[in-house]
Amino acid sequence: MNDTLHLMTVYSKTTARAWFQYRVDAVLRSLAVFARESTGIIVIYFTLLKFNSLNGWNIYELLFLYSLIFLTYGIMIIFFTGLRDFGNMVREGSFDRFVLRPRGILFQIIFVNSDWFAAIGHGGLGITLFLISAGKVGVHWNIYNALYYLFAVIGGVLIQGAVFLFIATLNIYLIETGSIKELLYWNVRKFAGYPISIFNKGVQFLMIYIMPYAFVNYFPAQFLLRKEDMSQYPEIYLYLTPIVGVGMYLLAYAFWLYSLKYYKSSGN
Amino acid sequence: MINFEKVSKFILSDISINIPKGEIVGLIGASGSGKTTFVRLACGLLTPDLGRVRVLGKNPVNYRQKYFSDVSTFIVGKNLLDKETSVIQNFEMLRIMYGINKSEFYKRYNEISEMLDFKGYEYEKVISLSFGQKMRVEVAAALILEPMLLLLDEPTVGMDQNAKECLTKILKEKASEGMTILITSHDMQSISNICTRLAIIDKGTLIYYGSKERLRRKYLPKNKMTITFEGEMPNIDDLPINRYTIDNDKITYEYNDNYISSSEVVEVILDQTEIRDINIEKSELESIVMQIIGGQNEFYRSE
Repeated sequence: MNDTLHLMTVYSKTTARAWFQYRVDAVLRSLAVFARESTGIIVIYFTLLKFNSLNGWNIYELLFLYSLIFLTYGIMIIFFTGLRDFGNMVREGSFDRFVLRPRGILFQIIFVNSDWFAAIGHGGLGITLFLISAGKVGVHWNIYNALYYLFAVIGGVLIQGAVFLFIATLNIYLIETGSIKELLYWNVRKFAGYPISIFNKGVQFLMIYIMPYAFVNYFPAQFLLRKEDMSQYPEIYLYLTPIVGVGMYLLAYAFWLYSLKYYKSSGN
Repeated sequence: MINFEKVSKFILSDISINIPKGEIVGLIGASGSGKTTFVRLACGLLTPDLGRVRVLGKNPVNYRQKYFSDVSTFIVGKNLLDKETSVIQNFEMLRIMYGINKSEFYKRYNEISEMLDFKGYEYEKVISLSFGQKMRVEVAAALILEPMLLLLDEPTVGMDQNAKECLTKILKEKASEGMTILITSHDMQSISNICTRLAIIDKGTLIYYGSKERLRRKYLPKNKMTITFEGEMPNIDDLPINRYTIDNDKITYEYNDNYISSSEVVEVILDQTEIRDINIEKSELESIVMQIIGGQNEFYRSE
């Protein structure tokens, strides 16, 4: 156990040192991610200038909804960068390095690399949006709400981590899964910036039961905001984010363990 | 230690081999003959399509994590160290990962880094090293773990003569301590210096497995003996000798080990004349292997 903690520390220090070797570049690249991701917010802002509200959600409530996506992604990418880049690892054969070591393969992949620029860019934007909106959405911040928020964030991180793990595992069979990730993760994520109630039933079904982004931001935001459109969904959904996160992650992990047996090393 | 039972995978077909503990086995074959596939099967990176692979008594694919504490692998072209990290930092990560005592580990590190001569760039990132430097470091990373079984795929590629000699010395030392080593190489000189046994693969089929001596006897038993004599020229007409040439007081015989031994030749000559000097040339292992495989040019291409 001590060895594992020691190894985690060494990996994390080494990764951070490598990413921040050129400090000015690190700051600029993190800012670039921040600016790129902010464009979506700017679109929403200008849209809301015309309509005042979107299905009952005002600009601050939408920013609060958005903040959860960015914050959870910012945290998730610290741990799951290796899974994001897993396809390249398999194609280049560098995944063999992890297979040949006497430690958990997933443990190594998680701690051996972290995209700190994405983490700071996304996480920083999430925190900024939270700070702008949290005081203006009528949430009474007490210990219970804060704890709920904390568990919702953990659940949201696990849900996205599970999706990354599942798609990464598909690389063992398909070698190339870039388009699947684009379709299932990034495209669906674009919908998640809005309250799911504005979409038709098909998209709602997709976001609740297939790629459950609704549990990353919509239902946690609803728990705190209690908007009218929540009446369309069972109230239990407000509490399910951590359970969905853990459940999805365990399923994805089981799929990962099962699939590793079929991993076929690439050529030299 | 390594047991293949009727294993088929990619080009490899129906391979059965048993490598016992403490042996240094050289796996040789022409380009594309299946050497690297063999190593990948042995280290659990590949599952056989047919047959059974057992390493340390277990299926390496199913026992990867436990198994790799006892097995260390180097495969040329695979980056087994983190390229963005310094050499020394990579070794420190290995130390922690394998749970090796710090003082013991760095004693080994100092020895190996001096022998393979990479101490001068131990603080450099792996990505900034030349190919030859990286090879030394990667091979050292496999050696330093002192496993029960060491699998080395083309470890001498890109190494200069000095590094090759040092590696040979280290491997012999490790083998004398009981480590089992499987080494593939297109460099016949290194292989014949290091190995106690040879396995030859041709187009995915194992065509020879055994000692170097048996290989010599079986496939090319022709030896050459030059004797400098004093006195009368010996008569060897009754001996089963292929041919002989005379140059003043020197006579060179070419004979077949299967029909007559060196000592028998010497005995017959000693009965007739006085011998001042004897020089026996054994046939080169490299030429034997090339003759068996039949693809001389291809043989020198790395897989």
